[in-house]
Amino acid sequence: MTPPLLELRRLTKSFGGARALRGVDFDLKAGEVHALLGENGAGKSTLIKIVTGAHQPDGGTIMVGGELAEDLTPAAAQALGIACVYQQPALFPDLSVAENIALRLERGGVLRTVGWRARHGCARDLLQRIGAEIDPATEVRSLSMPEQQLVEIACALGSGARIVIMDEPTASLTHKEQHLLFTVVRELRKSGVGVIYISHRLEEIFALADRVTVLRDGESVGTHPVSSMNEAGLIRMMVGREVAQIYPPSESAPGEVVLALRDVGCAASGVRGVTLDVRAGEVVGLAGLVGAGRTELARVLFGLTPADSGEISLNGQRVTLRSPGEAVAQGIAYVPEDRRRHGVVLEMPIAHNMTMAVHGQLFRGAWLRFGAERSLTLDYIRDLAVKCSGPFAPGGSLSGGNQQKVSLARWLATKPKVLILDEPTQGVDVGAKSEIHKIVRRLAKEGLAVLLISSDLPEVIGMSDRIGVMRGGALTAVLPGGADAHAVMAAALGTTERGAA
Amino acid sequence: MLLLYVLIAEWLFFYFAGTTVNRRGVTVGFGTLDRQFDILRHSCEIGLLALALTPVIITAGIDLSVGSLLGLCAILFGKFWHDGGLPIPIAATLALGCGALGGALNAALITALRLPPLIVTLGTYSLFRGLAEAITRGSVTYTNFPEGFLFIGQERWLGLPAQAWLFFAVAIGVWVLVHRMTFGRSFRAIGFSPEGARYAGLPVDRHIALAYILAGLIAALAAIIYTARLGQAKADAGTGYELFAITAVVLGGTSIFGGRGSVTGTLLGVAAIAVLKSGLASLPVVMRMNAAEEMSGVLTGALLLLALTAGVLPRLWSQRRARHAAVPKTLPTS
Repeated sequence: MTPPLLELRRLTKSFGGARALRGVDFDLKAGEVHALLGENGAGKSTLIKIVTGAHQPDGGTIMVGGELAEDLTPAAAQALGIACVYQQPALFPDLSVAENIALRLERGGVLRTVGWRARHGCARDLLQRIGAEIDPATEVRSLSMPEQQLVEIACALGSGARIVIMDEPTASLTHKEQHLLFTVVRELRKSGVGVIYISHRLEEIFALADRVTVLRDGESVGTHPVSSMNEAGLIRMMVGREVAQIYPPSESAPGEVVLALRDVGCAASGVRGVTLDVRAGEVVGLAGLVGAGRTELARVLFGLTPADSGEISLNGQRVTLRSPGEAVAQGIAYVPEDRRRHGVVLEMPIAHNMTMAVHGQLFRGAWLRFGAERSLTLDYIRDLAVKCSGPFAPGGSLSGGNQQKVSLARWLATKPKVLILDEPTQGVDVGAKSEIHKIVRRLAKEGLAVLLISSDLPEVIGMSDRIGVMRGGALTAVLPGGADAHAVMAAALGTTERGAA
Repeated sequence: MLLLYVLIAEWLFFYFAGTTVNRRGVTVGFGTLDRQFDILRHSCEIGLLALALTPVIITAGIDLSVGSLLGLCAILFGKFWHDGGLPIPIAATLALGCGALGGALNAALITALRLPPLIVTLGTYSLFRGLAEAITRGSVTYTNFPEGFLFIGQERWLGLPAQAWLFFAVAIGVWVLVHRMTFGRSFRAIGFSPEGARYAGLPVDRHIALAYILAGLIAALAAIIYTARLGQAKADAGTGYELFAITAVVLGGTSIFGGRGSVTGTLLGVAAIAVLKSGLASLPVVMRMNAAEEMSGVLTGALLLLALTAGVLPRLWSQRRARHAAVPKTLPTS
């Protein structure tokens, strides 16, 4: 029997304290499409990055074609015939298709001459093989996203790749383009190439894949032939675990509607027709897969990408939110997802960070009042238990969880009506995580309307009074708090609405 | 802080090396009070431009056009007064308004069109100077300003050169703005992280615009003082001043990448350059190799590069250490 094309054994990888992979086994045979499935953060990306040589594993072995591949670098991976087609094609937009293909495939010194005829011929051959009707002389800029993906696949093919990885290749494709892509994938399979296919769309996996491996929390839950699986079974494998962590119970009875969205949309960021009420004292969770439009909705509400359709009301009054300044003035606070870039100015002291959104209230007439600033900062440091060397320690000197608390304090200081938390516990250690959960509960009890965006399924289920599920920029379901994880996952994957995609 | 010691050492060196007693027993050279006042008088205009640039550079921007705007405002001021027949105070006010407008043009291009400040102000650098030359057709200079006006640039008031008082007033104003008001906070936040400032709800564009408009306004004030000092308004006024001003700001510890910086640092930077320039001219011929101008250029450049290097080295070293410490972890286990 021939050895598998790719064989991963007991692969482990940690980032800082977080263990992304905990001993994953995976194998890929020649001429098969092997789907890789898992929630956000289950370890799919890490696995792919290790196979393509972008990351080095901490432990475990990688065998390519039966031979041990040690110290895999991106160049070595390419030489072994591993190619990856990303969701966002990484081509040079100002060069032609042929030039882009040549950049990947041609090798030679500075002084070699360019064989334009051969270059175009080679590009035409490759494009023909995958059935793409693209003129090699076209500038990549003028191609559509799926056409660019086809060029990527042509590159992979041209490099003689035996292992092709496709990372959510259909995320931006139309139905017709999907079918073209499927045909190409089937062609690849027929010619003996092994394809690792990552997608959140279960129907694609059933249509295309031979086997499926489900990852969960950095471990492989199992590999099965697709023919022996159904959707419910796959979802059960992805979600699996019990809501193990204890979440503080909801103590507040929701009051009046504070934030009311009616058919809110924003064409620029892809948010479509969101209708949702958030009441005082209520935590509304927003679940969904990465790219489902949750952060985009938050950005609309915070005025970063203003809504261009629908109505937003606060306490019954219609408001327009065209800039963050306006949103803050209306009582909306947004603790952003990327705290190092957006949540905290790392170079500035904690105190300056905490007062940054209340310049108008705290510093009358724009005059700094150092005493008031200091006491406000010390209050929040005590209140939220921020671990720091003092109110003037730079934000960058804190741990992730404590930075998150500083970011939170900045917004609590504005005395908001609506608090939007975007992945508040991402990359935060367990202790700080449960502290943040307690703070959120307390704030809700004090009458704040909280919108909690989280990709951590147990968190969103355990913390929310109601759970909104988003998919493709729209709010597709609103489930009661404590809903079944399978139901949330099913709504996020869109299996309840077959054919809508 | 280091710069303060450099400045003191520099001053003491020139005091001892550049001061002599002539045959009639009169002290001449660097150590005289007259010479000290001269240094102050000559550094006011570049000093004002440096003050104007400090908030701009703190926002991680740059304004190359301030020297040209100085020239344009000087010409406009002369024209309003001479050709327009307006009284000096009104002409001066109009000139200040034109300076603010010039700054507003930079601000609009930078904030509304999201163009990089370096390129925008490189464009207005040529535009303003070109306008000044077009207005005068390259030949007209406005002179014969009244005594009362020339007082600002040439006489003393309360024991100091009159323009020094204006300079100090602006210095205090900018210091208060940067160090005692929320605007300074905002400038820093924008300089460190414009996106972070936006996510904090700060009016990023408005505050960037404020920095550039203020820079234009101060450049116009420098134009009026320049005109009063020389007694004439000409199109090449302030040529090259922007580079000295930027040097002074960076020498004063303001990071060209934005965020960090102080007004006191800028003042020290201005003083260090002014003392160096004037001091070299007063050295005996042997010591300055008969080339005070060239020497001052060389030494200013060396000083700036030294200051920049001194600012970057600690970080580089710590990065290097971190890298060396990290190497064993990534070595293959075999």
